[in-house]
Amino acid sequence: MKNKAVYTRILKLIRPHLVLIVFSLLMAVLNVLCTLYIPILTGRAVDCMIGKDNVDFEGIRTILITFLVVLSINGVSNFFMTLSNNRVTFRVVKDVRRKMLLKIHSVPVSYLDSKGHGEILSRTITDVERLSDGLLLGFSQLFTGVLTIIGTLAFMFYTNGLISVVVVLLTPLSLFAASFISRKTFKHFSKQAKLQGEMTGFINESVNAVRLIKAFGAESEKEKSFDEMNENFAGVNLKALFFSSTTNPVTRFVNGLVYASVGIFGALLGINGKITIGTLTCFLSYANQYTKPFNEISGVVTEFQSAVASAGRIFEFLDAEDTTDITEGMTAVEDPVLSGDIKIKNLAFSYDKSKKLLYDISFDVPKGHHIAIVGPTGCGKTTFINLLMRFYEPDAGKILYDDIPSGSLHKADLRSQIGMVLQDTWLKSATVAENIAYGHPEATREAIEAAAKKAHAHSFIMRLENGYDTVLSQDGGNLSAGQKQLLCIARVMLNLPPILILDEATSSIDTRTERKITDAFTAMMEGRTSFIVAHRLSTIQNADLILVMKDGNIIEKGTHEELIEKHGFYYSLLNA
Amino acid sequence: MKRLLKYLKDYKKECVIAPAFKMLEALFELFVPLVMTKIIDLGITGHDKTVVYKNGAILVLLGLIGLTCSLTAQFFAARAAIGFSKGVRKDLYSKILSFSYENTDRLGTSSLITRMTNDINTSQNGVNMVLRLLLRSPFIVFGAMIMAFTINVKAAVIFTLVIPVLFAVVAYITFKTIPMYKSIQKKLDRLTLHIRENLAGARVIRSFRADDDEEAEFDEDNQSFYRMNTVTARISAVLNPATLILVNLALAVVLYNGGNLVNDGILTNGQVVALINYMSQILIELVKLTNLFVTINKALASTSRIADTLDVKETLEDNGTLVASDHSKNDIVLSFEDVSFKYPGAGAESLYDISFSVKKGETIGIIGGTGSGKSTLSHLIMRFYDADSGSISLFGNPIKDYTLHSVRDVISLVPQKAQLFSGSVRSNLILGCPDASDETLWEALRISEGKEIIEKKGEGLDHILTEAGSNLSGGQKQRLTIARALVKDNPVLILDDSSSALDYATDARLRANLKKLSDKLTVFIISQRVVSVKDADKILVLDDGHMAGFDTHENLLKSSAVYREIVNSQSGKEAM
Repeated sequence: MKNKAVYTRILKLIRPHLVLIVFSLLMAVLNVLCTLYIPILTGRAVDCMIGKDNVDFEGIRTILITFLVVLSINGVSNFFMTLSNNRVTFRVVKDVRRKMLLKIHSVPVSYLDSKGHGEILSRTITDVERLSDGLLLGFSQLFTGVLTIIGTLAFMFYTNGLISVVVVLLTPLSLFAASFISRKTFKHFSKQAKLQGEMTGFINESVNAVRLIKAFGAESEKEKSFDEMNENFAGVNLKALFFSSTTNPVTRFVNGLVYASVGIFGALLGINGKITIGTLTCFLSYANQYTKPFNEISGVVTEFQSAVASAGRIFEFLDAEDTTDITEGMTAVEDPVLSGDIKIKNLAFSYDKSKKLLYDISFDVPKGHHIAIVGPTGCGKTTFINLLMRFYEPDAGKILYDDIPSGSLHKADLRSQIGMVLQDTWLKSATVAENIAYGHPEATREAIEAAAKKAHAHSFIMRLENGYDTVLSQDGGNLSAGQKQLLCIARVMLNLPPILILDEATSSIDTRTERKITDAFTAMMEGRTSFIVAHRLSTIQNADLILVMKDGNIIEKGTHEELIEKHGFYYSLLNA
Repeated sequence: MKRLLKYLKDYKKECVIAPAFKMLEALFELFVPLVMTKIIDLGITGHDKTVVYKNGAILVLLGLIGLTCSLTAQFFAARAAIGFSKGVRKDLYSKILSFSYENTDRLGTSSLITRMTNDINTSQNGVNMVLRLLLRSPFIVFGAMIMAFTINVKAAVIFTLVIPVLFAVVAYITFKTIPMYKSIQKKLDRLTLHIRENLAGARVIRSFRADDDEEAEFDEDNQSFYRMNTVTARISAVLNPATLILVNLALAVVLYNGGNLVNDGILTNGQVVALINYMSQILIELVKLTNLFVTINKALASTSRIADTLDVKETLEDNGTLVASDHSKNDIVLSFEDVSFKYPGAGAESLYDISFSVKKGETIGIIGGTGSGKSTLSHLIMRFYDADSGSISLFGNPIKDYTLHSVRDVISLVPQKAQLFSGSVRSNLILGCPDASDETLWEALRISEGKEIIEKKGEGLDHILTEAGSNLSGGQKQRLTIARALVKDNPVLILDDSSSALDYATDARLRANLKKLSDKLTVFIISQRVVSVKDADKILVLDDGHMAGFDTHENLLKSSAVYREIVNSQSGKEAM
């Protein structure tokens, strides 16, 4: 996305908060004016004190009263400016995150699959944080910084042109110095980032495989490699850290030069009576104040660039195309009641359009039939399920539910008729009961327990610390793979729809437990159209129809006996 | 912080030099207003241009000396900080590798990685900043006060009044917001969790039509994050105007008193200007000090997390002195006597009263359902955990009498999860045995049925595996992990369900290859498949942590009901 477009989008984001922003800008103007006025007042007060028995007390008093008023305005405006800046930023952040979550729900599953979860996660968390930092800094420092520079220049030239010229000529020196240093340190930083990345990768791998390393007694080997990496990194790290930390002293030195020059020129003018001591005092404060926003702005610019880059990534995600609910050109069928009669006609699909994945799949499933799908890894079984659920849309061909093309069904309606247990078990970090009642928050405890019992999950749930109220850690981390699958099965048991999809649903469960579940499944599948994808052939022997898939196509279909009889691929799978 | 101070031990010199030079720089900075007083009083008021030039030169000189001191300080501070982080990183890495299973389970891998990366970087930054600024800022504040006193005691009294108040305000607001920032971080973690779950659960959420529920939950946490942010920001927004107003009020007092003192001939107006300058120096340093507090606070949180990790007590004692080897006369390789074990924090025992013994060269099958304790048993053999009761003996001696390292030098484990490191095939295979020859590696690959896979890759052993072996299939990975265990050439080999992704034929060939090594190799095969264990010399049947038989296949069919049930459940073609 072009930077200009990003800026326009950012402006659009903050537009709803226009009133607050205008208010904040007004406060900023007030604040800067007051900040600049204080040194002038101080200078005037100094000018009231000329020497022994020559002090204008009346003048000082008037000045001090003005001083206090200006100071109060200064403080109050500063407070309100910060407050409104914060508010605008946090609101924008809240809105953006919400939009992103909604986007996660509305993009096609295929988009999430292809983008990678880590990528999207980092956009919603890190990039939004970075945008937030950038906005805050932009509001609070960029604007006041620019105002301060302009204001100071105006005040200075108004008071005395000659010293102003000195200040204007010398200050850029500090900017030059800062940018010179940052250019010089850049290569150290990029090297540091690269090494840091490699080291993090190494750490990541070691921590994840710590058990393996111990089992092989390879600790000292790993430590040796790590030490080497660590030593290397420390060297680069030192250079980057030191060179970058020279910025402050150097700019401070340049500021000192500006200060000294103002002092010298001011004093010379003072000797000639061109300016008063009070004016010189005022100039000395300006000399300090004037360089500060320059240094800040250069910092803000870097921060802002990274915020704009982040915003670009955020908008790119928000611009991703939503899924279509009803396929174009089809009329929606409202409130369908599906019986489970399914017809698949010449279905084709591929992720990468140059490589055919599924093609020319056709078969009919009468209501209540059980279909088993078998075949080697990568033959397209899971993809087929994705098409059934309309997670993905077929490239060609169609799926008819009760003779209604799937594209005419609202996705929510279609999915409410299908219960599925997927290969990767997904559980929320919530209680066991909440997980079983997922999507049905109204379910009673009795119903939940009944479902768990049917899925043979009840006994292990009761053994958990707090039974059904045990809070599962992230990704159900405190459960075994088999237990997670049992919970996923219980989740479907709670509310049985007319169509079932069981994708490798029992792969992590031992055959004995699986047999018990299979019994439960058999009862559950009774009268329900079911698709079962499994490695274990014992699970699928009783299917009405077995589809044998290979390389994206159905190469054999029939019952177990028929296929055995045939001595084909199915037979060879069994006898491998 | 205290607990990590030892990492600065080798950098004592740096830790003294850095702050010392920083203070030296500050000292020179404090002279600047005095020099300016001379320029004003002797130069302007006394109409003496040479004084102006001379003192102007002094200002520049002070700046130069300040620059030198400051650069020196930055260098030594950077060196100490880098040395510190390097040392911590090294020790933390070793510590993590030394953790027992129990510790790794409890601490969690992702949090360990954060300790190693973010936390170390944050503490390094903390050390750097503390060395540079912690002494400097208070030094300037108090130094400015002392300088004010040297000018005039009466005029300086206001400094002693305002400084404590300033410190109190800064400290109050900083320490009030510290816990609030922590709470913001926690709330952000909640948001991260929501996003992560919504990404991983995209299919389930859609199929259960739970997106509205998810959105409601997210909105709630998003709102709470927003609220915490605004509340915290409101409090910190007070800090700036508060210090600004306090310092400027003091300035007003200085001007007011200054007027009187100048009138009495006690002060010159140049001295009043110096007092004003000292006030503004204090203001600038206070801003730096507040920022420093934030940095220190973050660093303290990080260091205490690191220190906690380093302080974690080893749950597994390594007091044994014997070195395990299979040269014992005893024919019994391994024996369990009434061994029971419960995972820390688990509700129930994972193994109850397990007793069996294994002779040299035997192949032992271990079979049982999900969660029956099969893997737990292997963890006890490897001494990843210690049994709660009963005793385990290896080569005739209690396993605890051996050094931990030597136990793992006689037993090779192929864990359930096929984990590989990024790097060449060779570097993966030599994990436990860095100087293994290529012949050894090829031989191990031959036995594990992995030779062909690697031969097909053009580079052979130099073939590079991408992250976590993602360019290999599950079965290929398993064969490599088995080869890796064989390279170690240990007398005992445990295969923990590590052929589950192999097809039956390969699995059978693998077992036949292992059988040929039986003169020197004792093998444990943990599996859910009867076919994998039925030819073993003996089969240990586990049922919910209890022993349900330890005998040959034929005898178990007669004696063990559980075994019979398992066999029946797999009676399809695949099992037999």
